[in-house]
Amino acid sequence: MKKLYFTIIFLFITRLLLAQNTTGKTVSVNFNQASIDIIVKELESQSGYHFYYDRTQFDSLKVTLQISDAPLERVLNMAFNNTNYHYAIVPANMQIFLTKGKIIHTQLAAGYFNSKGDIINQTPARGDFSMDKETPATEATTENKLYSIGIKTNNIEPGKAVLSGYVRDVKSGEAIVGASIFTTDAKTGVVSDQYGYFTITLPKGRQTLVVHGIGMKDTRRQLVLYSDGKLNIEMQELVYSLKEVKISADKVANVRSNEMGVNHLDIKSIKQIPAVFGEADVLRAVLTLPGVQSVGESTTGFNVRGGAADQNLILLNDATIYNPSHFFGFFSAFDPDMVKDVELYKSSIPERYGGRLASVLEVTDREGNKKNFTGSAGIGLLTSRINIEGPIIENKTSFILGARTSYSDWLLSALPQEYKNSEANFYDINLGISHQIDDKNNLYLTGYISHDGFKLNSDTTYKYGNKNANLKWKHNFSNKLFSVFLVGYDRYQYAVSSDQNPINGYNLNYNINQSNFKTDFTYYLNQKNTLDFGVSSIYYKLHPGNFEPYNNQSLVAPQIVPAEQALESALYFGDKYDITPDFTIDVGVRYSIYNYLGAQTVDYYAPNLPKTSANVVDSVTYGKNKIIKTYTKPEIRASARYNLNDDMSLKASYNTLTQYIHLLSNTTAISPTDIYKLSDPNIKPQSGDQVSLGLYRNAQANTIEMSVEVYYKRIWDYLDYRDGATLLLNDHIEQDVINTNGKAYGVEMLLKKTEGKLNGWVSYTYSRTFLKQDDPNAGELINNGNYYPANYDKPNDFNFTGNYRFTHRYSVSLNVVYSTGRPITLPIAKYVYDGAERVYYSDRNEYRIPDYFRTDFSVNIEGNHKVHQRFHNSWSVGVYNLTGRANAYSTYFTEQGGAINGYQLSIFAKPIPFINYNIRF
Amino acid sequence: MAFFAISCTKPYNPKVITTASNYLVVEGTINTGGDSTTILLSRTVPLNSNLTTVPELGAVITIQSNQNQSYNLVEKGNGVYASAALTLPATAQYRLSIVTTDGKTYLSNYVTPIVTPPIDSIGFTEISNKQEGSGLQIYVNTHDPNNNTHYYRWDYNETWIFNARYASFYITNGTSIISRPAAQQIYQCWGNSISTNIELGSSAKLTQDVIYQSPLVFIPSTSEKIETRYSILVKQYALSADAYNYFSILKQNTEELGSIFDTQPAKLTGNVHCTTNSTLPVIGYISAGTVQQKRVYINNSQLPNNWIATYPYDCEPDTALYKYPEPGGLYLNQVAIFLIPLTSTVIITTAITPPGAMTPSGYQYVDPQCGDCSIRGTTTQPAFWQ
Repeated sequence: MKKLYFTIIFLFITRLLLAQNTTGKTVSVNFNQASIDIIVKELESQSGYHFYYDRTQFDSLKVTLQISDAPLERVLNMAFNNTNYHYAIVPANMQIFLTKGKIIHTQLAAGYFNSKGDIINQTPARGDFSMDKETPATEATTENKLYSIGIKTNNIEPGKAVLSGYVRDVKSGEAIVGASIFTTDAKTGVVSDQYGYFTITLPKGRQTLVVHGIGMKDTRRQLVLYSDGKLNIEMQELVYSLKEVKISADKVANVRSNEMGVNHLDIKSIKQIPAVFGEADVLRAVLTLPGVQSVGESTTGFNVRGGAADQNLILLNDATIYNPSHFFGFFSAFDPDMVKDVELYKSSIPERYGGRLASVLEVTDREGNKKNFTGSAGIGLLTSRINIEGPIIENKTSFILGARTSYSDWLLSALPQEYKNSEANFYDINLGISHQIDDKNNLYLTGYISHDGFKLNSDTTYKYGNKNANLKWKHNFSNKLFSVFLVGYDRYQYAVSSDQNPINGYNLNYNINQSNFKTDFTYYLNQKNTLDFGVSSIYYKLHPGNFEPYNNQSLVAPQIVPAEQALESALYFGDKYDITPDFTIDVGVRYSIYNYLGAQTVDYYAPNLPKTSANVVDSVTYGKNKIIKTYTKPEIRASARYNLNDDMSLKASYNTLTQYIHLLSNTTAISPTDIYKLSDPNIKPQSGDQVSLGLYRNAQANTIEMSVEVYYKRIWDYLDYRDGATLLLNDHIEQDVINTNGKAYGVEMLLKKTEGKLNGWVSYTYSRTFLKQDDPNAGELINNGNYYPANYDKPNDFNFTGNYRFTHRYSVSLNVVYSTGRPITLPIAKYVYDGAERVYYSDRNEYRIPDYFRTDFSVNIEGNHKVHQRFHNSWSVGVYNLTGRANAYSTYFTEQGGAINGYQLSIFAKPIPFINYNIRF
Repeated sequence: MAFFAISCTKPYNPKVITTASNYLVVEGTINTGGDSTTILLSRTVPLNSNLTTVPELGAVITIQSNQNQSYNLVEKGNGVYASAALTLPATAQYRLSIVTTDGKTYLSNYVTPIVTPPIDSIGFTEISNKQEGSGLQIYVNTHDPNNNTHYYRWDYNETWIFNARYASFYITNGTSIISRPAAQQIYQCWGNSISTNIELGSSAKLTQDVIYQSPLVFIPSTSEKIETRYSILVKQYALSADAYNYFSILKQNTEELGSIFDTQPAKLTGNVHCTTNSTLPVIGYISAGTVQQKRVYINNSQLPNNWIATYPYDCEPDTALYKYPEPGGLYLNQVAIFLIPLTSTVIITTAITPPGAMTPSGYQYVDPQCGDCSIRGTTTQPAFWQ
């Protein structure tokens, strides 16, 4: 068809003559929003000329024109004024050719006889598509089609208009998050939000938008913007799914976006990182980012820029996950087949988030396929997983369900001797339902359940789990104002039980419950200002320990630490203000209000004395829901970006944060039975601030991204415990904890290559983190009140994560990690006490374990790439810890048979081969 | 396959920790219950030192009460200081005063003596599912009818009869092999060991002050401790909450490290201070009170028949002949060379007497660890043994 059309043009092109004033015909017309067919019919009947045109190219043309006895040429000029349409007249044959975009020259192109191809190439292409005229938002599915946005007029008023819409996957209908939409000159650009929604302000008239999305084919849209309007953009997935390692959705975002200290990882790059048991791990991928560290391999607790592990707000589809790890920390709680992407905010934390000091890790699951039933399954050495998704109502409602379970008992036989006779298992289930009520309203329901059970070679059984559910309603008031309302419930619980000794048998139950309400509004005030505002509220209810006899033989005294309640609310407002195209500031304030609520009995201590039971001066019992203590705190979130040139920008940010819930742990790694404590009259909220500065540069057509960020951070009132403190089942925990202040600083460098056969990133971080206890009322001070390095203070940290693609089916990945060993407290002297050698410890964290070095390697094999096959399968085969270096996880000195010996415990002391099989259907 | 043994523990010797240290270590309990108080003084040594401990000699130790009584301890040598048997009034508080030869004075905090309730029983259970295999778990039961004690510490002294792998019937007198006199038997010995772990128990979380089957020691079924007769003397000390805390940190710091969810080693602060230099660390916690003790015996006949002790050494008897044939029709007198000299350390077990012969043609002998139990114990029956 296309060819035929070209041929027709080609045949006639030699006979074209000059178009102006050649017909001598006059016509009278009265068009009101007339389509091309009406116009042509009218003009053909009045002039006798025959019109040649492609109807589909003109489907967005609407002409309003009233004129009498005007020359045909003038009528055509007026009708096509300000549009991309052109006409050419061949009076000899009484023919008029209407074209789009390309003017048909009435003379031969220069050099025509030498290079025919040129003309063919310049001929406007014609897409085959069908347009759904009922859809209010224009569905843009073809790149070369010209879309008319807004109420069409043949005269476009100068000025700006707002364009908004969704970016979706053409196949599944799923929202594409973080797609960047910008004009060809890259002067204006936005990024789609977590629902795939975008709003961009553009000059009216002819525009070309370029759209980039992770793992999607780049696309472009041509449009004529008449007034405010909508445009939905569908993108096609790249077929060879393992090809891309794009860390950032937005190639120019590195330089252009206002945010700093934000790392974005999509699941495709996460899946390329060789993982210890072959199963992609979200949190381990996060650990490859600059500024993120962990205390060791069997923990997925992570430390961001010197923050403690509990200072990270971990959100899975907006639900707070308190324990993000399974199976002693070897797995993270997030099912890799469900996760769409991960965003980590390290320095400029948006004002809509709060309640934690160090970072926000936002994990977003995919939405179900709205068009077809699909699914995938994966088989690994320790776990298997399956997920299915599909429409409930086609194009409106979809679901996605994922489940994962372990069969890991064989691994325990491979663990050190002391873990023999142990048991461990876990499962997790994710559910997501999304429903499009209409063009302006969407509902999202998500749920998550995880369960872990283990028994470490003793009679004590541990169980823990997360339960989360939330409902989100997204409502667009207009193109300029949209909102998200969320209600949710999050729970973390654990239980410990022991039944071997009938007298001492017990059950211990612990749980945290939080009910959330949150609303976020975004208002595009004008081209220069985007406002964000909203309120949020969290009601906490903690049961800090119910200790009960295991059965009626047990003499255990039931002990119930009274439940704690609190309400944490916040009001926030932020403005992103583009002062000039090159200078943008983003200023926000979050006002947080925290109420500690009854029923509760609170002890008050004499001021300026250590909090001990001897210094209790009063004990007050408060009734249910009575406000016992209120803390308020305005938090500042400010950032600025200045473009030095097109490829380079300078960013700065300053943040203050407050945290009202504290994790109390006396273990080095996060353990499942750590307890959380709410701030109360005796325990102040922790607070911190951070200033950071960064330089960003893109090179080689935005395929290489470089950044350098420096930061300095202060932390106040972080809780540490007294030596030998009892944290669990402690009615007076304030007597056993000490306020600690901290400081952290560092420089982070990141170099990323996003395209090409070789892609990946290299990061290097130099950072220090120090804590000190100098509260004169604390009693015994750690290290005499001087600064000491935190457990996760690892000054040098280097990471390389790379992927090389030989063909679309075969690629190899390599991961190299080096870091300084973490600080430890070593014995410096020994003595004999109670019949055995004992050790005397140094100041806390005075020494370090040996440096850490690890290399992982994997080969990824994709099945064939026929698009239309029933099953797509892929293999991942590799080796974790290729060099087999026995990295120390911890060192310890223990007495055996009366003598002291030093030991080094390595978790993965040998190369560990793995294999993983995935299938998609 | 390759997945096994992915984690490992190996020795770790950090580069020389240079901090020189010789802090005073004070160990013991002020015994108010009509017995003598024994205090052990020593000094810490650097971690890489070959010495395990350095006894502190020449110190002057007194027990002081807050009612101005004081009782002196006498140096017994090797860092041990003991008082006469004292019955101290339970209404007073007591502390220890130590003046070392370097002129420094150390004081412990005043502590209230705690009356230790008696041990109810010491029992044992056979356990078969332990990672070490089957064995004997010895436990202690106690209770305080006044519901007042809550915190307990135990130490123990084990004694057992064991045999050498081979009985020795002969001995050399330097010129010939003679029958071994009964007084020099080295086949049956008493072994002895003291507890090296800190054993603690608490009933603080129970409705009654009851300690039920608190484990003390686990003896593998293959241990020679239980091959004949075994005895354990358990001493029970009631503790204050503070003292219990001190001992549990000490236990945690040195016995319970090396797992994945390790607690951080904690700085140990006892209740002894140097008054001359208050920043000087002192190790030790001095509490006061009475001590209870109980001894039990366990016979091998009480234990499963299939529990067989494993001898700790590989033993294979050798033979020494008076006439060992050599090439060329010569003979070598192996007995004279290997067994008769008084410098010979081997143990002669039995004689080799050919059928019909009146005198032995030679002897079987073993290395000392296979024939002489006295290198690992004593042949003298302890005074208490029944």
